[in-house]
Amino acid sequence: MIEVEGTLKSRLAVWLVVTVSALGVLLLVEAYFSAQRAAERAYDSQLEAAALTIAEAIQWEKGQPVVEIPSAALQILATRHQERVFYAVLDADGHTVSGNLDLGISPDWRRRVSSQPTWLNDSYHGTQWRLYGRELDSAGWETQDPVQIWVGHTMSGRDALTEALFEHAVTRFVVMVLLAGILMLLAMRVALAPMRRLRHQLRQRDADDMRPLEARVPEEMREMAETLDSLFTRQREGREALLRFTADASHQLKTPLAGLQTTSELALKSDSPDAWRQALTEVHGSAGRTSRLASQLLSLARLRHAVEASATSRIDAMSLLHETTFDWAQRDVSQAHDIGLAPLPAAPQYIQGEAWALRELLGNLIDNALRYTPPGSVITLGAVCHAQTLELYIEDDGPGVSPETLEHLHRPFERGGRQDTEGSGLGLAIVDSIVRRHEARMQVESAEKGGLRVRLLFPCLTRHEER
Amino acid sequence: MSIRRVALVWLLGALAPSLAWADNPLIVEAALDREVAAPLLDAFEAAHPHIQLTFRDRSTLEVDARVADADDPPDVVISSAMPWQMSRVNEGYAQRLDSPAAQAWPEWAKWRDEVFGFTFEPIVMAYRLDLSRHMMPPKTHADMHTLLTQHRETLRDKVTTYSPVRSGIGYTLFQQDARYTTRFWDLVAAMGAADTNLEANTRSMLEGLSEGRYWLGYNLLGSYAMVWAQSHPEVIVQVPQDYSLVMMRMAFIHRDAPHPAAARAFLDFLLGREGQRVIAGETPLFSVRSDVVGPYTAQRLRDQVGERLYPIPLNASLLAFVDPSRRTAFMDRWQREFRRLSHPAPAPSAAVTEPRIDKTPQR
Repeated sequence: MIEVEGTLKSRLAVWLVVTVSALGVLLLVEAYFSAQRAAERAYDSQLEAAALTIAEAIQWEKGQPVVEIPSAALQILATRHQERVFYAVLDADGHTVSGNLDLGISPDWRRRVSSQPTWLNDSYHGTQWRLYGRELDSAGWETQDPVQIWVGHTMSGRDALTEALFEHAVTRFVVMVLLAGILMLLAMRVALAPMRRLRHQLRQRDADDMRPLEARVPEEMREMAETLDSLFTRQREGREALLRFTADASHQLKTPLAGLQTTSELALKSDSPDAWRQALTEVHGSAGRTSRLASQLLSLARLRHAVEASATSRIDAMSLLHETTFDWAQRDVSQAHDIGLAPLPAAPQYIQGEAWALRELLGNLIDNALRYTPPGSVITLGAVCHAQTLELYIEDDGPGVSPETLEHLHRPFERGGRQDTEGSGLGLAIVDSIVRRHEARMQVESAEKGGLRVRLLFPCLTRHEER
Repeated sequence: MSIRRVALVWLLGALAPSLAWADNPLIVEAALDREVAAPLLDAFEAAHPHIQLTFRDRSTLEVDARVADADDPPDVVISSAMPWQMSRVNEGYAQRLDSPAAQAWPEWAKWRDEVFGFTFEPIVMAYRLDLSRHMMPPKTHADMHTLLTQHRETLRDKVTTYSPVRSGIGYTLFQQDARYTTRFWDLVAAMGAADTNLEANTRSMLEGLSEGRYWLGYNLLGSYAMVWAQSHPEVIVQVPQDYSLVMMRMAFIHRDAPHPAAARAFLDFLLGREGQRVIAGETPLFSVRSDVVGPYTAQRLRDQVGERLYPIPLNASLLAFVDPSRRTAFMDRWQREFRRLSHPAPAPSAAVTEPRIDKTPQR
């Protein structure tokens, strides 16, 4: 039983939401860090520019570095976010030539800056600062000591820019997801249109319309359409079979009933008790045949419709064959024939099946053989073991049937081209149904001695399945 | 409406006693003349009767020193020494003010939403009527230079201006002047040649003008000069026609303010419509807000003088003025230029030993 809740659309939507959110989290984390990097780059370059501007203002006077801090450098440092600013110009010994805050530039930092310009994050009185230091080699008349320039500012501009960039990224992402979702819905509508048309067509069908769909559908749905077509075909066939069966059954029942009517009418017109007696005898015989016909019809109908029944068990086919053969051999109807068993395999052979159905199967075959062969014929039952299958067979030395008729034999009311027997024509049809229920195969062929041979091939229970 | 009013009256009645007894002090350290600011302070006390305002009127140097006093920090700091105020804010001594009045305050008159320039005081020239009898009074900086060059002997000892050494405001104004043109140094040289008297504050200059000691004054605070001229007809105030600097008094709430709520109320009052209305109407400090009407507003000043008002920019560039080595270099140059014409052989650059801000009260 397939159980899929909800619509295909919601399933697709859930799938989309889950994957997109997982992907989105990753993307947004990446976006946040890249926004942070971008903001850092943008503002670090301002620190650099301010440091260069200050470097430009450094001069040597009497062996001492002198700097006249340019206002522009401070404005560059402050940025338009009005950061608090820090600057310091240190001489070679680390003494402050000029500066505003005492951020405490450590000797370690000074060493790092002496090799290359450096950016640093530092905390000062609970505020985060971004610092930049670079060393300047400047030539004076008396001394040529290097001078270090340190600049820094607070980080509200960076935070604001990061936030803004991140917000943009989030907005872009959300818009993209919404657009993708809408497009997805549209695409689903377009893609699922054939399915909707198919559904529409199926819904509008009449209950007994079993024609093929004749729909041109996309690749993915072709299989389903074909399956539907074959389902329709099977239904049509089943329906036709049922109609034929009903028509045949009615016909079969009508003939003996009409005979009964004629006989009883004739008897009623007569005044002779002898005629009455004879008529009653005929009526009795005819009623018996009709009753048998009706019971065969019933059992056939039951076999065909009781698909669900699965009260199967492991059955020893040999003893079943044995019992059934002897049961029939002792009956009155078989006294004119010679019913016997061919030599059977010594070991029990197990098959999976229903005992009553298998007995019915064998009984019908024996009954058929009795009815369609002249008295004195030899009827032989037997079993042969094959690798995968167990073969039960029954053969006679009667007149047999023509090859053309062979393939129709399993149809109901087919009498092998003979109208001279008392058979209903239902025997092999019942056999056929039972064989199908047991997933076995039936082969009808001409026997070596000239009669008919019916072979039933049952799947063997493997050793493994035997418990 | 009436129910509401009744409820309000009842509420006030219920709260009034507790408000009256509430111990809610506020300490304001200000380089702002108490007499000038009196109407403003009275209006504040009327608007906030539950706040006990202590207004300490000090010199800019003292105010600056009080900011760094960790043991007894003030609530609000007001000073006209713009670079020093800016430096303190940059050091992190101010706290942010996030009120509607602060938000609405013009961008050019605040920094980091921490410090606010709440006055708009033009820098002017002033001359005595005697001057116009001898020469055409100056209208521009160039006129000033021409007069000093052509009438050096007449004007000898009769010109006055700020001492950049003894006055923080004077130093700031000269720095700003020097930023605009190098010809400023010619003016300094010409003033030096005319034996210009260097005063520590505007009041001294105005007094000198009234007494007849001085004929011409350069870089006076317009706020004080205009009020002085009203009662002293012999003094004429001239707003320079080429450009006029504008000084703003800067106020901030101290980071460690012991009474932050009261401090915020005070600053909100200063920046708010009510406080600015008092500034515009009852003090000569000039209101910054354009939606305030009165005799002293920046807008009215602009209408009178035109677009030649150049407020000293309230941004990080001010920090350069307090840089010690820059200050030293500037003072060296000032001394050099001041003596250039009178003492052709330049004196050895005397190290500036005086404190960085004038010790005498600067108003």
